Amino acid sequence: MEMLWTELGIMFVIALRSASPLLAVVIGETLTQRAGVINLGVEGQMLLGALTGVAVTFHTASPVMGLLAGCMAGLSLSLLHAWLVLGFKANQIASGIAVLMLGSGISAFYGIPYVGQRIERFESLKTSWLADIPLLGPVVSPFSPTVLITVLLIPVAGVLLYRTRWGLRWRAAGESPEISRNLGENPRRYQLIAICLGGLLSGFGGAALSVDYTANWVEGMTNGQGLLAVGLVIVARWNPWLTLPAALLFGAAQAMNLRLQSWGVDISSYLLATLPYVLPLAVMALSYRSLRHTGGGMPEGLKAVFARSA
Amino acid sequence: MKNLKTLFLFTTLSMTALSDALADTRVGFVYVGPRTDFGYNYAQDQGRQYLDEHMDNVSTLYFENVPENAEVQRVMERMIRNGVDIIFPTSYGYLDPALDLARRYPDTTFVHSGGLKTADNLSTYFADIDQAMYLTGMTAGLMTETDRLGFIAAHPIPQVLRNINAFARGAQSVNPDVTTSVIWTAQWSNPTAESEAANTLIDNGADVLAGHVDSPINYTQTAEQRGVYAVGYHADASKFAPQGWLVGAEWNWGPMMVDIVTSIQDGTWEPTHLRGNLTTGATQLTEFGDNAPEEVRERVLQARDEIMAGDLHIWHGPVVDQTGNELYSDEMPMEAVESMDFLVQGVQGRLP
Amino acid sequence: MPSAIHSRASRLTARLRTLLPLALIVVLFVLACLAFFMINDRAPLSLFMQMVAGGFGDFYSLSESLVQAGPIMLTAMAVALPARLGLISVGGEGQMYAGAVLGTGVVLLGFDWPGFLLMPLMLLGGMLGGALYGLMPALLKTRLGINETIATLLLNYIALLLVSFLVHGPWRNPASLGWPATIEFPSGAVLPTLWASRMHVGLILAVCIAFAMHWLVTHSRWGLALHVLRSNPRAGATAGLSHTTNVVLVLCLGGLLAGLAGIAEASVIHGRLQAGIAGTYGLTGFLVAWLAGQHFLRIIPISVLMGGLLASADTLQLFAQLPAASAVILQATLFAIVLAVNAHWSKHQRRST
Repeated sequence: MEMLWTELGIMFVIALRSASPLLAVVIGETLTQRAGVINLGVEGQMLLGALTGVAVTFHTASPVMGLLAGCMAGLSLSLLHAWLVLGFKANQIASGIAVLMLGSGISAFYGIPYVGQRIERFESLKTSWLADIPLLGPVVSPFSPTVLITVLLIPVAGVLLYRTRWGLRWRAAGESPEISRNLGENPRRYQLIAICLGGLLSGFGGAALSVDYTANWVEGMTNGQGLLAVGLVIVARWNPWLTLPAALLFGAAQAMNLRLQSWGVDISSYLLATLPYVLPLAVMALSYRSLRHTGGGMPEGLKAVFARSA
Repeated sequence: MKNLKTLFLFTTLSMTALSDALADTRVGFVYVGPRTDFGYNYAQDQGRQYLDEHMDNVSTLYFENVPENAEVQRVMERMIRNGVDIIFPTSYGYLDPALDLARRYPDTTFVHSGGLKTADNLSTYFADIDQAMYLTGMTAGLMTETDRLGFIAAHPIPQVLRNINAFARGAQSVNPDVTTSVIWTAQWSNPTAESEAANTLIDNGADVLAGHVDSPINYTQTAEQRGVYAVGYHADASKFAPQGWLVGAEWNWGPMMVDIVTSIQDGTWEPTHLRGNLTTGATQLTEFGDNAPEEVRERVLQARDEIMAGDLHIWHGPVVDQTGNELYSDEMPMEAVESMDFLVQGVQGRLP
Repeated sequence: MPSAIHSRASRLTARLRTLLPLALIVVLFVLACLAFFMINDRAPLSLFMQMVAGGFGDFYSLSESLVQAGPIMLTAMAVALPARLGLISVGGEGQMYAGAVLGTGVVLLGFDWPGFLLMPLMLLGGMLGGALYGLMPALLKTRLGINETIATLLLNYIALLLVSFLVHGPWRNPASLGWPATIEFPSGAVLPTLWASRMHVGLILAVCIAFAMHWLVTHSRWGLALHVLRSNPRAGATAGLSHTTNVVLVLCLGGLLAGLAGIAEASVIHGRLQAGIAGTYGLTGFLVAWLAGQHFLRIIPISVLMGGLLASADTLQLFAQLPAASAVILQATLFAIVLAVNAHWSKHQRRST
């Protein structure tokens, strides 16, 4: 029994460590979609944040500056989406893809001099004051700073969304612009903040990946995690509290694929590699019954986006 | 508007023709990934730059990020239609489109990397980097304390299998008990998967990591973080792991490319399979890392000299597969090596 | 008399009005390209002309643009049809692979069969494969309530891995010396090409299908049913229309089209099955569908333009040695411009009428 807990604990650590950049993007996109806007461009924002993080860290020798710069980069790119979608009332899906491509192209273009460059890393938390905290210390110190920040974002997002008046208005903007206006609000204001917040968090996720996790830049290094994050928002049923299990599920499945290989399981690694994609489907299938009557939790305003054409 | 367009087109093409008439040989390179990947494509591009620097009457151009599908034919055909004389398709999957174009454009010379088929105007070139991998395997075998080595691999194509097997055999030659575990990432480049694969191998007891993915940086850094050793491939990633880096195997395409282009210009070129190795310098061992002890360096360098002198053949028999079958009792022939499709004894893991 | 002149003039201005946004897009895009080239120290005007020529300047460039336009058209339709019911499917890529897999399976089975038997069966196999891969998200949605966007997204990855598994494993050609691909298709299974280029009948099929689909969704009863179900589900239910059945129909039919694109690519462009045959057609088709407003006839010219854009990207590397990413930046800029101008224009139109 104790072996099982240890194994689960190890899996948790591994999954969280590798999936935390993804998690940051999922949290951001959840908030965005809750306000009634979908942004497929998070992949581009993540890439731009990753490159900017590495570039700034390289020039300033400060990973913290790199993280901040990555956030800003993601936010800046998301402003394009906001401009197109809120300003021009353009189709959100298409705009997102334009943003995705722009982020991907710009990061690849300007990232050329940074490939193969070494950057400063964060110092291990094990030697910091964090490790000395009783009980909590040994649990959190194996992780790197960005993982902890990302995890802390969850209760912040959850409480903000569900327990504050501001959060109520945020959700109203996503459910119905009419209700929002009846409350005396301008839903577009919340949507702008939502897009920017999503941009900031996806830039953070990208920078966390490049500055903290891998400490280097490679073209296209997010490998589609941004797009996957948009999908995982659905798995998490647009609920910030469920983003952690959703991302962990994916991260654990990826880790399982590699572990199963090392344990000598006699299945092709290509088939094992489908695990991270099959598991979310299975989870959604299993939770079907509880969702049947609530439509899965998609904000009504978002449904309108899908029903509208260009 | 149409006249303007025609004028510009005409000007451009005539300028190209003019530059052709000035007898500069135009050499075009096609890369499957970005040339800044600090890996395979980077090494090929280094070769191209060497060619540029060392030959006066040659001008080069390159195309990067051309996937191994329908696109490459169009890209190569465009180059030919724009007066490129020699094309270097540098990725294995370009072979069949290249053969197709070779048939249709007999005046263009194709020099394909790693292929095993030729045509009248298509030759291949490659380097036996597995010789260098054998040496890195020796280093790993000498340095390991757990007798467990790890290898992170992308796809099970012959070039990768050669490296895994050479590495394993090199390690076994100095340390018969050593095992090499292989994990497949199913992608040429995926930093997250590479780091996690490295972690998995280390969790299972490996204390020296090797790999054949696009860039050695990620697994090398993970090894450094976890306090184990790493040997590299494609490029020298020692600065990412000052403590953990032992040695690496790298390409040195430049001189070989100069030879090939010169022979084409001379008229002495033949559509053969040109293979470089440690002796000719097309592949080489990188510098040793700071933590590689003197005895290890001496032993490995001695083996290197033996290989270069032709006294040590890394594919000498017996060659035994994972199930214990002796596939070759004498030296394995090069055609079999170049189309390798199995893993040798001492390697743990299966072909996907 | 005066009213006739008046209406003719207003018709002319109306036609000019529709051309104005197009002209604006072109002008803005040209300016953006010139700015990009100048920032990067390249001769702006001549490079731009080369870019255009690279997409449409001569027969070769045009044919290469059309080679890409075909599969883009089909994957765009695979997205547009479910969108008619309000479904967002990104599954073009996975359905292409699924069609290629099943079609290849037919070829491997009937390798020695005569061409007139093998070819249609191969195409049918491709269509069936794509349809099945569209059936999966349909069932997941109707039976288990799983959102089709996430389902098709995940299934794309699974399809790609399945192809890798097959070409590295059971279907790998022993003569390919370890390189992952199936054996080459016999000539009876290779679609004929047109006019000494790489264009093939798949393109003609795609155009015909586009016309057929357009008629289907605008003039048939089924098209009307889709429209009702999407805009007013309650009315649809009252009228006895089944949302579930139609979800299955649109996703399967869309998948069928993408599957056709997949097997066509494998057959004529590659001559075998290998990983990567779908390239970026999935995402590109998705974008084209949304740029065309899910309108099947508009998909045709937009696909051609997209094919030209992709093919012309070569010239940036060929003539200016700009990194490959430059093409992506320019393409993204074009889309942003198109979106902004279109959206602004329709807003303007709505206000003035």
